[in-house]
Formats: sequence, C-alpha cells, structure tokens
Amino acid sequence: MNATEIGICGVAIHAPQRNDSRSLEESIYAVTWAALRDAGYDIEDVEGIVVAGNDELDGRAISIMMASGSVGGVDRDILSTPSSAEHAFVLGALRIASGQFTNQLVVGWSPVEVDSFNDALKIGTDPYWHRALPQDELATHGLQASVLENMVPGIRKTAAAIVRKNRMHGAVAYPDRPLGPMEEAFIASGKPTRWPLTDAMVSPPAFGLVALVLANKEAIAKHKNGNLAWIRGMGWSTEPGFIGDRDLSKLPSLEAACDQAYEGAGVKDPSNAFDVAEVADGTPYHELLAYEGLGLCPREQWNEFVERGVTARGGRLPVNLSGGALSFNPVFCAGLIRIAEAANQVRGRAGLHQQPNVKRALAHAASGPAMHYNTVVVMEGAK
Amino acid sequence: MKAPRVGIIGIGQSEFKAKRDDANYPELVREGVSRALGDCHRELEDMEAVVYSLAPDALLGIGNAERLGVDAVGARNKRFMRINTGGATGISSVITGWTHIAAGVCDVVLVAGADKVGESGDSQTILNKIWDPMYERALPLGTITMLAMSAVRAMDKYGMTEEDMARVTVKARANAARNDKAHLRKPVTIEEVMQSRYIAWPVKLLDACPQSSGGAAMVLASERYVKENKLDAVWISGVGHCSESYYMGDRMGNKIMADHADAHALGQSFLRSYKMAGITDPAKQVHVAELYAPFSNTEYHSIEAAGVCQLGESMGLMREGHFDIGGRIPINPSGGTLCTNAIAVSALVRAAEIALQVWGRAGDHQIDGARVGIASGNGGDHQFFGTMVIES
Repeated sequence: MNATEIGICGVAIHAPQRNDSRSLEESIYAVTWAALRDAGYDIEDVEGIVVAGNDELDGRAISIMMASGSVGGVDRDILSTPSSAEHAFVLGALRIASGQFTNQLVVGWSPVEVDSFNDALKIGTDPYWHRALPQDELATHGLQASVLENMVPGIRKTAAAIVRKNRMHGAVAYPDRPLGPMEEAFIASGKPTRWPLTDAMVSPPAFGLVALVLANKEAIAKHKNGNLAWIRGMGWSTEPGFIGDRDLSKLPSLEAACDQAYEGAGVKDPSNAFDVAEVADGTPYHELLAYEGLGLCPREQWNEFVERGVTARGGRLPVNLSGGALSFNPVFCAGLIRIAEAANQVRGRAGLHQQPNVKRALAHAASGPAMHYNTVVVMEGAK
Repeated sequence: MKAPRVGIIGIGQSEFKAKRDDANYPELVREGVSRALGDCHRELEDMEAVVYSLAPDALLGIGNAERLGVDAVGARNKRFMRINTGGATGISSVITGWTHIAAGVCDVVLVAGADKVGESGDSQTILNKIWDPMYERALPLGTITMLAMSAVRAMDKYGMTEEDMARVTVKARANAARNDKAHLRKPVTIEEVMQSRYIAWPVKLLDACPQSSGGAAMVLASERYVKENKLDAVWISGVGHCSESYYMGDRMGNKIMADHADAHALGQSFLRSYKMAGITDPAKQVHVAELYAPFSNTEYHSIEAAGVCQLGESMGLMREGHFDIGGRIPINPSGGTLCTNAIAVSALVRAAEIALQVWGRAGDHQIDGARVGIASGNGGDHQFFGTMVIES
C-alpha cells in the first residue's frame, strides 16, 4: 500500500436491546452518528462512505439503497461490499490510500428479522447440487469442527474452554448483554445443533451494527484527533466457493491474508508481536484455526496454549477480550466488529475490557461458510 | 493529490442473449474472464486481486453468488471483494479495481462478473424488492414504473414527447446492429416504437431494455506494469460516484436535488470525474460517450448530466442527429443498455466500450478520431451513479 498513513479515529458498536424499538434504518443512523461523534466529525466532513449489508438478512434486493440515507450517503460517494462487512473496511482504507479521499465512513449491520436465519443464509448454496442438502452456514462450521476433532486429540475440551473464556470476557466487557452457557461440561456435551457443534458452542444470531471513521494524517491533524489506531498492515483473501473443493482443516486464504498484513506491518514473529487480538470465533474451532493461521500457535500446541491461559484475560496475548462472537453474534458484521474492538484497544477506548498499554493489536475477521473470507489487520497506537 | 495513471489492458465480453442455458453462472463469468485475459495475453496467475461485479443476489437466486464465482475468476487465496451498487455495479467495480492499483496494493487487477437476467423469471417482480417493504413495495414500484414517472416529469418540464423517446430507441437499435455483442440488434422505426404496447405510460415495450444474459471482464494495470511488460493500454483519467435519495417521494419536488426529470447526482459524479481528468468543457473535450440508460427517456437526462449540453436541450439535439454515429458527440454507439442489459455487468460494458472506442478497436461501431470518452452507470432506484473518463 502507498506510504499514506491511515488512522481509525472514530468507532461505534451498537447492540440494540430487546426494548429498543428503532427500525434498521434508525439504528444505522444511530451507529453512524455515534462513530462520527467519536471522531469529532459532522456528516459534512465525510468525503466517502463504504457500507456492507446482506440482502438475504435485510430482506431487500439491494440493501445499500435503504442504508444510504441513514449513513449520510445522499450527494456523496458511497459504495457497498456485500461480500463481507470487513471488505467495507478494506475498501475504505484503499480509497484513502488512493489519494482521492482524506477520510471514509465505514458501516456494517446484521439484523435478525428473518423467520429462519439459517434458511436465509442457505440460499447462498449452489441451487442444483448443495441446496437440497441440509447445508446451511452453521452446518459448514460443523463440518469444519468435525474434521478438526478427528485430527487433533483433546480438542473438544479445548473448544469448550474457549467458549467459556470468551463468555467470561464478554461478562466483563458488556455486562448488560445476555450471555450463553459457561459451564465447560455442558458446552461440550449439550444438545447438538450441527454435530459436533452443540447449541452452547455457538451464540444465536443477534442484531448488531458497527461504524468506523478512517482518515489520513492530514485529516487527523485537521480534526485534532487523539486516541488513534494506525493501520500498519492489511490483508484479505478468499477460499474457493465449493466446500467440496476445500480441506476444511486448513485456511490457506488466512495464510495469504496474513502474509499481506504482516509484510505491510513488518511483523516477523507474530507469536510475540501483539499485545491483544480480536479473532473470528463464530465457533471455538474458528478461534483455534485463527491461532494457527495467524501464526500465534500451531495446532499441535492448541490444547496446552489454551489450558495455560495464554489467550485469557491476564495471559500473554489476550484474545477476544470483547467476548467475541461467542458472546455477541451479529453474523454479517461480527468480523467488522472484531476490527473495531481491536482498534478501540489500541485507542485506549475499549471501556470495561481495556487491556493496559496496548501498543499493537491484531484483528482477524472471517465470514461465510466455514470461514470463506479471511481478513487481517494490524494496528498500532502512537509511537 | 494527483491521480496515478491506471491502464486498461484487456477487455472481454460475451455475446449477450436472452438465455444462455449452455453455460451455468460461473461458466458465464469465466467466458468474459477468458476473453479479457486473452486480450492482454495474461494468465489467471498474473492477476493479483479480483473485484467481483455482481448486483442483486435475487436476480440469480443465489445468496452471495460471488462465492460461487471465486474459481471462475481464479481468486482462490487472492485478494477478492464484491461490489454492488445496483445497475451501477459494473462501473463501481472498475473504479474499485482502479482504487486497488491507485492505492499501491496491486499492479494488475481483474474486474469480472456476469448475469443471467434473461433466466431470472420476471426481473421486475424481483426488482420490486429493492423498495421499502412497508411503504413502496405494494404500490407496486418497478424500475419501469419508477422511470416512467421520470419521463412524465420530463414531458412536463421540458416538453419531451413520446416520439422523442422513440428516437432514442431507433438510434440505439441502429447502433446495436453494428455491434456483434449486443442483444437486441434489429433496427426499428419511430412508428414501430410508437405502436409497441405500453408497459407503464409513457414507456412502451420498445422504450425498454431487454433482460440479458452474459459476462464481461476487464484487466487493469499500473503504469509501471504496462511499461515493464511493453503492453498496449488506454488510461482511466477520471473516476467519480454520487448518490441520490432513496425514497421516490423525496424526488417529487422542484429542488435541484429532488427533480425526477433530471439526474442531479449523475451530474455531480461527472463533475468529480471531469475534475480529476482535467476536463473543463465536456461538450468540446469529450469525443464519445456510453451512458447507462435502460429506458429511452433516461438517455436525455444522462446526456444533460454529462454536461455535453444544457438541461432541456438534449431532445432538440437528438432530433438533429447530434448524438448519432457520425454526429458531434455519439452517445451509446454500442447500442447501449437499451439494447443489452445484463445488470451485473451493464455498467462495466459501458466502460469497456469506451475503452475500445479510444483504443480504436470498437469494430463496426468505431467512432473515428475518438481519443477521450466517458462512461456512466446508474443503480438502485436511479440512486447510485458512477462515472469514468477514459483516454487513449
């Protein structure tokens, strides 16, 4: 990427509660303005916008249309990346690096109004071969978990420990949000949802929204922004479309995204490079694959790594101090929330779950069937 | 900041048809990709990133259908993202490809997509779902009824007649007859257009675009890559986007941003592209245009938004042949969206056709001496606009 320095200067994460009667449009408006306020921006300051929603979950054929007013898109340059919410972040950063914008607003959302969430996502399967199978997105996560359980002895206990860890983190970070089960024996042996995943190994889909303001050095100086997270490296990549073409125990796309991000950030030894990380954890097996793909811990050491509490609060590398998607799971924008949470850690604005002295943070987002898309961002605070 | 030079080095298009039941969706995507790669003598392995051009999932009946296209575009383990701005998606995707290179991330980017609108059943029933589910869907709005209201407003404001609309179709079909990629290539007369049945007054069957199937792709490269590999290229010198309001009712006034006869946001987008390209007088500096106009009436406000004439002047200039092949500024010499509309790539084809024009490779519909061209895309409910200046 060009030498342009890009910082995250505004972040808002919105988790509407049960008694919140605002519509999707109103909620998008609310999270947008919260991020702008955090950056000290007015909508008139925003030069460009990238948004991401999912047509099937939104119940609309082009969901960007509905959102464009709520995010201030009228008379502005606005694009959408329906492939994933984290791609909106990537494109926002690229647009600033291109030199044509000094700032970008990035917004993602994930509602839960659909009658059957899993059926809505199942429309993403090939209509001739796979749609007749009971293969929704959660089922692909189950297949992935199954492969890993067969390859790594003892992993099921470790997976349950990760669920407990992240929910413990979530209880500290957002005490007002409902949490799932935390007893490891129950998590590991409870009712299966998509074997070998149990109901307790995933969090139900939740309504959530997230917005970030990105800016270059000149715009940051102009707005006198403090509390910044500078983007030092960024990578994104994809797996092939058909599950049958993949070895679900591996994520070469994550390795490719890491190579891009670590090269940009000058990270040589990722296992000792970060103070905190937010990684994909749609299931605990996702978090394990992230440990390996991100270069934090090979699979042979997963059980010991988790058992020693390396990634728990107080450990050498706390992972998902926000509670992750295992605590709060707005499926389509959970990846962008990982980036936002990591940015807030660097900015010193993570609230109740702030880790002291975070100088460098790692964010990993995955989305789609069995972690189809992988995005990695390395962020640093002021030197 | 001065815009870096990004070149177009390869272009591929299907022969667009109503149905392509000989090719499934990924195969159709691959068709455009193979032709674009062949055009610049590159391999899939040479592509460093892919921008995937796909408008509503609903037209294909597959959620996040871009995932099924990953291998068709050779994107496995590469940088990949999908863009959707409705009908503007194709040009937004090319601009996103431009952004990858301008940002210094890649030297070579593939932009690709396909659509099977002709096999979607009834696209208007599907496109009704772009509107607000509580207030507007039940009306029932479709893209035809939406732009019929724009036509009514243009009739009232500028005196546009149904014959004026028919004249656009006659020009488009005459042009498409010279373009072997176009879907509707049979020339028609004003009388034939006028005698075709109304779909949504004043829009008649022959004022409306077809439902097309086909794929298209483009390979973009940095100036350094073009020079190092001694490639032939044309250059993207200006890019821009701008958006309108979502709710139709917000455009039923006579304020500058809310007059449904005009395309204010398209004009703003063109101004952004022109500023980047250093174009100060498009009427004199632009030689050819491919403007996204799926219905005959919308070509008029697109021409005016492009700044090649004043508001309300385009109907008179059309009557004088100003916009014909051989006229002063030929508009849609390919036949345009009015003759071919595979929505996911229609606006990509607008950019591709302009690239071919300034390259001197447009075949039977080549405009002599074209060196500077413009392209546009419109998406949503005439809401999202993307524009581009391409030069030889």
